[in-house]
Amino acid sequence: MAHPLREAAAISGVGETAYTRGTTKSALALQLEASLAAIADAGLSPRDIDGVVPYFPGGGIAEDFIANLGLPDLRLSLFVPMGGATCVAAIQSAAMAVASGVCNHVLISVGRTGYSGARVSTRLQQFPQFALAAEFEAPIGMFAPAQLYAQGARRHMELYGTTARHFAEIAVVTRRHAILNGNVVMNKPLTVEEHHASRMIADPFRLFDCSLESDGGAAIIVSRADRARDLKKPLVTIMGVAEGHPESPASIAQRPDLLEFGLVKSAPRAYAMAGVGPKDIDVAEIYDCFTFTVIRQLEILGFCKTGEGGPFIMDGRIGLGGDLPINTHGGLLSQGHVVGLNHAIELTRQLRGEAGRAQVKDAEVGLVTGYGDMGDGSIAILRRAA
Amino acid sequence: MSTAPVAAPAPERPLPVPTRESQPFWDGMREGRFLLQHCSACGKVRHYPRPVCPHCFSLESDFREAPTGGAIHAWTVCHHPFNFFFKAAAPYIVALVDMDAGVRVNAPLRGIAEADLRIGKRVRLGFEPVNKEVTLPFFVGD
Repeated sequence: MAHPLREAAAISGVGETAYTRGTTKSALALQLEASLAAIADAGLSPRDIDGVVPYFPGGGIAEDFIANLGLPDLRLSLFVPMGGATCVAAIQSAAMAVASGVCNHVLISVGRTGYSGARVSTRLQQFPQFALAAEFEAPIGMFAPAQLYAQGARRHMELYGTTARHFAEIAVVTRRHAILNGNVVMNKPLTVEEHHASRMIADPFRLFDCSLESDGGAAIIVSRADRARDLKKPLVTIMGVAEGHPESPASIAQRPDLLEFGLVKSAPRAYAMAGVGPKDIDVAEIYDCFTFTVIRQLEILGFCKTGEGGPFIMDGRIGLGGDLPINTHGGLLSQGHVVGLNHAIELTRQLRGEAGRAQVKDAEVGLVTGYGDMGDGSIAILRRAA
Repeated sequence: MSTAPVAAPAPERPLPVPTRESQPFWDGMREGRFLLQHCSACGKVRHYPRPVCPHCFSLESDFREAPTGGAIHAWTVCHHPFNFFFKAAAPYIVALVDMDAGVRVNAPLRGIAEADLRIGKRVRLGFEPVNKEVTLPFFVGD
């Protein structure tokens, strides 16, 4: 029997602000601007929104959405506290809300002033999930994600021979895609040599292995599939969706296998729900807080075996025109950092045929992942419904 | 009102704020003893300290002195000081070590060159007092 959530919900609207380095707007204003854009994209009125899942901490809360959008009857207000895995995990929560009949249209949104406001180390102090890192690792000089995730990347290199050249390939291909998009922070070509020459942040991560600190907002609407069918845009349904939490979720250091992310648990569930496998995926938007994180997720997702991610991504495979185009919008590495909601937006546009110069020809089924909060992993598999 | 430039205050070192669960660990560090939390019911070790044994769900635990040797599991070399306190020390190696005691410890590694780092290399935990209350771990080659 098909999973009750399979294609019960759809992504009916997507919206984003300009991605910049520098803004005078608040994170809340950016979040609301993107939300209004997503609502307009769906052909809805703000009054139609009856569920909200704002990114937390940072940006607005339910009260802000009622006050600014005049929501007449908000029926559900959720936080999904999973760091970079939040936005895609929120798609599961929203799908549950609309499939069960609690809501019709759930707004998932992010507003962030990562460049003009508080930077990453300061923001993380707000996360209860980082309390262990604050107590045991910050005092010895480890707290930023670049540092905490670097040890796993180093281990992958030592065990499997993954190299900086592989990391560079992710950065360079992602930049090439960003340039096609237009709404991006990084719009100049990047070479492998420039990647290798960029300063070391936390070995093995160089500057161009790290995602951007940027300002911007992003939003999507998850609607009940039958309601979405009558809306403005081509129907993009949620075939499979799942969140996963790793062992030792608040401490990478104590995790038995540093390379076993939450995606190890969520990916098989999402594939099973969707009734598809890696071979069916036409385009993939992979959470790219760091270049290495993409390589490891491609392994976990079953596109190649563990340890083979480095060679797998070479030779044009992940670029437009390759077997598996990834991060066709420029990702967190080159477009902007709105906690990966831009990845879900891009996948929706790809499946609608709205991806412009980065359009993957005949894209019908795609997947998007979220990764964060020390290794939580979320995934959604979307389909262009006929 | 003075218009003389004011020197920026020196950045503060981030320090642990012990919890009710972790206090015995930090007390041990201050005394130069590597104390780890063990379940009083099933005897299994756990780190970082927490209220419940995830193996048998016992709420009872005690802290026992553990051996300070271990083998490198992974490492990073921190170049960019995300906290400006560490600017003077950068670049510094932080080694993640599989302790013989059965848990992992993350701490600065001293006296071993980056080029000589290997998974499995033997190290030993040392104790570095940073003030009257707090002693932090570091590693040296064994």
